[in-house]
Amino acid sequence: MTIRLDDLTVNFDERFQLNNINWQLEDDQHWVVTGANGSGKSALAAVLAGAGEIVSGNLQGVPPRVGLVSFEAQAELIAAELKKDDADIMDVIAEGTPVREILLQPGSDAALVDELVEKFGLSALMDRAFRKLSTGESRKMMLIRALASQPDLLVLDEPFDGLDAATLAMLQQYLASLVETIPMVLVLNRFDEFPDFISHIAYVDKGRLAHQVARNDETAYAELYKLLHLKTTELEVPAADPETAIPALDPTQPLVKLNGINIRYGDTTVIGDLDWTIEPGKHWQLSGPNGSGKTGLLSLITGDHPQCYVNDIFVFGFKRGSGESIWQIKQFIGYVSTSLQWEYSVGTGLRNVIISGFYDSIGLYTKATERQKQIADQWLALLGMSERADEPFNKLSYGDQRLLLIARAMVKHPPLLILDEPCLGLDDMNRQLVLALIEKICADSETTVLYVNHHPEDQIKGIDNYLELDKR
Amino acid sequence: MSNNYFNTLPLREQLEQLGKCRFMTMDEFDDGVEALKGKKMVVIGCGAQGLAQGMNLRDSGCDVSYALREAAIAEKRQSWKNATENGFVVGTYEELIPTADVVLNLTPDKQHTPVVNAVMPLMKEGACLSYSHGFNIVEEGMKIRDDLTVIMVAPKCPGSEVRNEYVRGFGVPTLIAVHEDNDPKGEGLALAKAYAVGTGGHKAGVLMSSFIAEVKSDLMGEQTILCGMLQTGSLLCFDKMVEEGIEPGYASKLIQYGWETITEALKYGGVTNMLDRLSNPAKIKAFDLAEELKQIMRPLYNKHQDDIIDGTFSRVMMEDWANDDKNLLGWRAETAETAFEKTPAGDVEISEQEYFDKGILMVAMVKAGVELAFETMTAAGIIADSAYYESLHETPLIANTIARKKLYEMNATISDTAEYGCYLYNHACLPLLADFMKDIKTDVIGKGLELEDTGVDNARLIEVNAALRAHPVEAIGATLRGHMADMKKIV
Repeated sequence: MTIRLDDLTVNFDERFQLNNINWQLEDDQHWVVTGANGSGKSALAAVLAGAGEIVSGNLQGVPPRVGLVSFEAQAELIAAELKKDDADIMDVIAEGTPVREILLQPGSDAALVDELVEKFGLSALMDRAFRKLSTGESRKMMLIRALASQPDLLVLDEPFDGLDAATLAMLQQYLASLVETIPMVLVLNRFDEFPDFISHIAYVDKGRLAHQVARNDETAYAELYKLLHLKTTELEVPAADPETAIPALDPTQPLVKLNGINIRYGDTTVIGDLDWTIEPGKHWQLSGPNGSGKTGLLSLITGDHPQCYVNDIFVFGFKRGSGESIWQIKQFIGYVSTSLQWEYSVGTGLRNVIISGFYDSIGLYTKATERQKQIADQWLALLGMSERADEPFNKLSYGDQRLLLIARAMVKHPPLLILDEPCLGLDDMNRQLVLALIEKICADSETTVLYVNHHPEDQIKGIDNYLELDKR
Repeated sequence: MSNNYFNTLPLREQLEQLGKCRFMTMDEFDDGVEALKGKKMVVIGCGAQGLAQGMNLRDSGCDVSYALREAAIAEKRQSWKNATENGFVVGTYEELIPTADVVLNLTPDKQHTPVVNAVMPLMKEGACLSYSHGFNIVEEGMKIRDDLTVIMVAPKCPGSEVRNEYVRGFGVPTLIAVHEDNDPKGEGLALAKAYAVGTGGHKAGVLMSSFIAEVKSDLMGEQTILCGMLQTGSLLCFDKMVEEGIEPGYASKLIQYGWETITEALKYGGVTNMLDRLSNPAKIKAFDLAEELKQIMRPLYNKHQDDIIDGTFSRVMMEDWANDDKNLLGWRAETAETAFEKTPAGDVEISEQEYFDKGILMVAMVKAGVELAFETMTAAGIIADSAYYESLHETPLIANTIARKKLYEMNATISDTAEYGCYLYNHACLPLLADFMKDIKTDVIGKGLELEDTGVDNARLIEVNAALRAHPVEAIGATLRGHMADMKKIV
């Protein structure tokens, strides 16, 4: 028996919608549905138990008996119990429905109920009113009810939440004993809670089923892990290093001021007479077709373009060509681009790659301080790469390299972060990873972001100044 | 035509100058580019080295412009394009030299005499003239005006690397020197140090040497192990393999990329590490071959060093300069006609380890060449540090150019001086190794030992390992590479 969701759009309370879901679940598969808070993962699981109002598309093959455990279902049951209470206008103390009655639905396996109640250590509560149970107790009862209902499909939304270690182990073991008989869909937030028997993962983002990954596809599984890590973990951008502090800038002065600048190659003018001022705190998006001079313009700012010496450029308090060195300029800038990634073809360990951001070097040529190492480790933790601190950079996947170079660019908390098409060449999953990291940076730090991009779907929240270059 | 400066010195002075070489510590560069701040630097010549150094110096906050000959500007030659496209001020000698505080002569050796004769009268009183190679001063005996300071700053890498390493935030090992006859204000060392900082060299290690030590060791290294040995080795190994029935495309590739691969091991861990990449029986084989090669080639290395020390080499070469490079150009054309050069590398996979396993003779040639060059230089009074840089350290750089461009282009890329010496070496070495090569079979070049049993005699292996590690080039190499590691070039 196959459950199929074909281009399915489902409304929930008009507040939330699942859009265009295409999903197929075979009965020998066990799925985890995961995603960030508010992504719609619980909604997607609940659709299998009949929740929501189907707007368009098809849902077929859902078996008649679906055992559902979720906060929503729990809340519904409790609300119904409370309603009974309200409805009782007689002058008697309403006890509410006892647990035993709630557990023993038509078709339930009574012996299994008793066995599970025993296992969960809840025997003493069997005659108590369901609505008088604590949240944890009622949750366990919901689980027992679902497991004992002889379901054809189990949908368990965060079943492990709030369980003590012993109960958790017991439940996981029990679920594992069902793998041959009942297909399961688990909604889980944390990778480390995924039971071994899970065969597939569905990743939900903004009401869409964004990725489906088979557990045995190790590369995709590892990428999904990092994405979930960035999206769901309450991590903060690691602090700057007080010992390698960047000199303070005059906050009333622009970070960058370009006056009537030109870039010319031979007789060709790529950029002509451009004025551009970047004030601190004003994030910019730079766009334009290929060949419009985006990268050239950026390298005038970073000092990598030799024509920065023949233009009127003011950066971080320096008039270019007045005796400053490029290292005095670069210390204020974090920079990520595809070409940097190509140039960064070194076998340096990941930790050192991040530390090299303190020195604006490709490779590390200076002994790092203990503090710098600690900060680098915090970044690795943020990226979910703590275990891989000493792996060589050039052996990383393309997407991981990009993430690491963004961390390298940010490690010193530069006043200006330049991201030159940071999603270029990345697949969908890695794109989302990079964007998630950048959004975290934009939200958490005082860095001004200059973002080069021409894909509308790669917008970043919080950027509201735009410069568009034309091809000449 | 010229007076060899070195030959005018008394012996004790010659020995003192040859023996000058000291690895400088990082704190000696604490003043950064301060000594050059506010000074006007004018570069003469805008080839790869001139452009790279100028760009680095400008990015370090120095004021750099380029003086070119009027014809180069009028005809918009490549040097003019290089400079202007990179946003430099370009002018004629007459326009720029009189304003210069430091004049950087980065033209090829051959042009030094006319260039220096042209710029010296234009230079302002008390300015500084800088070289990247001391040939003009030492071998041609150029006399510089007494009021001028004369220094040398010589990055030990091609121009492209000088620039690339700087951009990465590092630099390349650099040799500096002050010409003691021309240091009227005693500021030569400060200027040379600031210049080394400006090009990024201080991050990779700076050797304080003398004009004489630089010239005599540089010439020796480049014509023997660096270019000569690799050229001769390439030709002999290729012809042997083809003669023994190895597919020519394979043979060509094994050589073209083999030097680079095996000397990469040399760069990281010296001769010892290069031989350690071989199996035990192959290592012993390579060791024995190298011993034999050293015995055969030692007189040739001695002759090269003697000719360099007494000025014979430079005299003969300058005669060819005067004769419109007849020899040089003829020999260059001959190189283009060799079988190795004309056989493109085959489209075959060769793994990194395979280059070692099937190139035992190449490993032996590198070992013999490095050790002989080092031994000969130090015997002539050149300090071990200097001898190390001019032999072992630079071998991988030349091997890289062969991997990229084979022999003809390698020769066209290196300086004319190196190229001339390389041909001299090759012409003498080919016949010298003819008998030796008769006994060579594909087990040491082309196929490898192909042994079922890789067992060796314990005592013999201990003996070979001990001999490898006891060579003096290994001791100084470990120290100098250690300095580099201190500065952590983590590649």
